[in-house]
Amino acid sequence: MSELQAVDANISTAAPADDLEAPPKSLWRQLEPTVLGVGSIVALLALWEALPYLVTFAPGTKLFFTTPSQIAGTLWTMFATGTIWAPLSVSASGFALGLGLAIVVGLPLGVLIGRSPTLNAMLDPFITAFNATPRLVFLPLVLLWFGLGLWSKVVIVFIGALFPLLINTYEGVRNSDKLLINVVRSFGAKEWDIARLVVVPNAMPYIVAGLRLAIGRAVLGVVVAEFFGSEDGLGVMMVQAAGQYKVAVVFAGLIVFAGLSLVMTGLVQLLEQRLTRWRPQHAAEY
Amino acid sequence: MTDQTLPNPAVPADDAVTRETFVERYRKPLLGALAVLLFFIAWQAVFLVVPFNALFISKPNLIFSGLAELVVSGELWADLAVSAVPFLYGFTAAVVVGVTIGIVMGWRVRVGYALDPLMTVFYASPLVALAPLLIVFFGVGVSGKAIIIFLLSIFPFIFNAYAGVRAVDRLLINVVRSLGGKEKDLYLKVIVPSVLPYIVAGARIAVGRGLIGVLVGEFFAASEGIGYAIAKFGDLFALDKMFACILSVMIIAVVLTEGIRWAERSAFPWRVGQ
Repeated sequence: MSELQAVDANISTAAPADDLEAPPKSLWRQLEPTVLGVGSIVALLALWEALPYLVTFAPGTKLFFTTPSQIAGTLWTMFATGTIWAPLSVSASGFALGLGLAIVVGLPLGVLIGRSPTLNAMLDPFITAFNATPRLVFLPLVLLWFGLGLWSKVVIVFIGALFPLLINTYEGVRNSDKLLINVVRSFGAKEWDIARLVVVPNAMPYIVAGLRLAIGRAVLGVVVAEFFGSEDGLGVMMVQAAGQYKVAVVFAGLIVFAGLSLVMTGLVQLLEQRLTRWRPQHAAEY
Repeated sequence: MTDQTLPNPAVPADDAVTRETFVERYRKPLLGALAVLLFFIAWQAVFLVVPFNALFISKPNLIFSGLAELVVSGELWADLAVSAVPFLYGFTAAVVVGVTIGIVMGWRVRVGYALDPLMTVFYASPLVALAPLLIVFFGVGVSGKAIIIFLLSIFPFIFNAYAGVRAVDRLLINVVRSLGGKEKDLYLKVIVPSVLPYIVAGARIAVGRGLIGVLVGEFFAASEGIGYAIAKFGDLFALDKMFACILSVMIIAVVLTEGIRWAERSAFPWRVGQ
C-alpha cells in the first residue's frame, strides 16, 4: 500500500504541470483512460468470443460467424506456414509504388501551386473535382487501360494518395511566413532557394499530416483495386475467402491491412519527429 | 496579416477592390474556367494528330452526346435514383448513430475514454474490406449496400461530434447552469449549436466515403445503379457512355462536397478559417 502511494506521489510530481490549478491526480485518475480504453476492447473481444455460447444461431448465420480465437489461429497459421507472404508482397508492392509515385508527383506540384497563384487558379477545378470524387469510379477505366494486375492497382493507389499530399503541401506552402520569404528574397534568393530554405521546412507538418491521410487512402486503394481488378494479393484472397465462407480469413486479411496502415503511420510519426526537431513545440502541433 | 505598419509591395493590397477591373476581380474563377475549357479542347484536338481508337479512349464530343442520350432516355436518372436509395438509408443512419455516439463520448468523459481507442481501431482498419462478406451475408439488395455505406460514413460523424463536444466552451455551460438551466437546456442551447459546425464538416468527409460505399456495393453485386452502369459500359467498351457516367458521378461528388462547404461558410461564418 505504501509502495503504491509512493508510486502515486512520484507520478503526480513527475507529471507536467500544464494546469497549475488542478489538484494532483490520483493514480486511478491517471490510469483511467488506458484502463477503460483497453478494457472496452478486451470486453468486446470477450463478448464476441462468448457469443456462440450465449446465443444459438440459425444454421445460415453460423456459416458467417467466426470468433477472435479462430481469426488469431488463422492469422498464426498463415504466418507460420508462410502462405501470407506471397499475397502480402503483391499488395505491398502495389501500395509502395503507388504511394511513392504520389509523393514524387504530389510534393513538387503542391509547392508549385502554392507559390504560383496562376497555376493554382488553373489547376484548382481539377483538384477539387478529383479530390471530391471517389477514386473507385475510375477503376473500370483504369482496368481497361492497364489491364488486370500491378499497374492498375498502382494507378488507383496513386490517384487516391496524390490529392491529400498535394492539398496539404499546398496549404503548408500558403501558410509559410511571408516575412521570412521576403527576408530571403531581399538577400537575393531565387525561387528555388525560397522553396528549399523557407517554404518546404515550414510546410513540413502539413506534409506529414497529408502523408498520414495518404497512407490511409493508399491502403483503401489497394483493397478496392484488388477486389475488382487483380489476380493475386491480399484483397483477392479475401474476396475468394468470402465466397467460400471462410470468414476467419477475411478478418485475418482485414487485420493485416490495418497492421500495414498502422506500421506505416508509425514510421511517418518517427519521420515527423526527426524532421521537426528544430521546430518550437507550439508550432509542431498541427 | 504579416504586418500592418509597413506596406508590403510584394503583396497586392486586398482593400483596393474599387480600382479592380472585372478581370482582376474574377481572375481565379476565370482562369479556372479557362483551364477546364482548354483541357476539353486539347482532349478533342489531340485526336487530330493521334489516331483515335473508340475501344480505348473517348472524345469530349462523343462523351457529351452519350451523356445527352443517357439523360434523354432517362437511363441516367433511373440509375442515379437506384443508387440514391441505399445511400440515403446508410447515410441517414450514420448521421443519427454517429452523432449520438460522438456526443455521448464527448459529454461523458468515461465513455470517451472507453470508446476512443476502439473507434480509432475501427477507423484505421479498411472496413471496406468487409464488403464482400456483407454482400454475401445480406444479399445483393438495398440492405447490404446501405450497411456498407453506413460503416464507411459513420466514423467522421463520431469523431467530429466527439471533438465538437470537447471544444464546447465550459464558460457557457457554467453560465447556463448558474442561471438554472437543466441538462436539456445544456444540450439544446449550448452543445448542439457549438457541435453543429463540426458535424457539418464531418458530413463533408462522410459524403465522399459514402460514395465509395455506393460504388463498392454496386461493383460487387448489382443489376442497376450508377456504379453498375459504369462497370457495364466498361465491359461493353461503350466508352462514351462510361465517361458520361463517370462525369456525372464527379459532378455529383463536387456538388455535394462543395455544397456542404458552402453551407458551412454561410451558416457558420465564424468558423471560416479554422
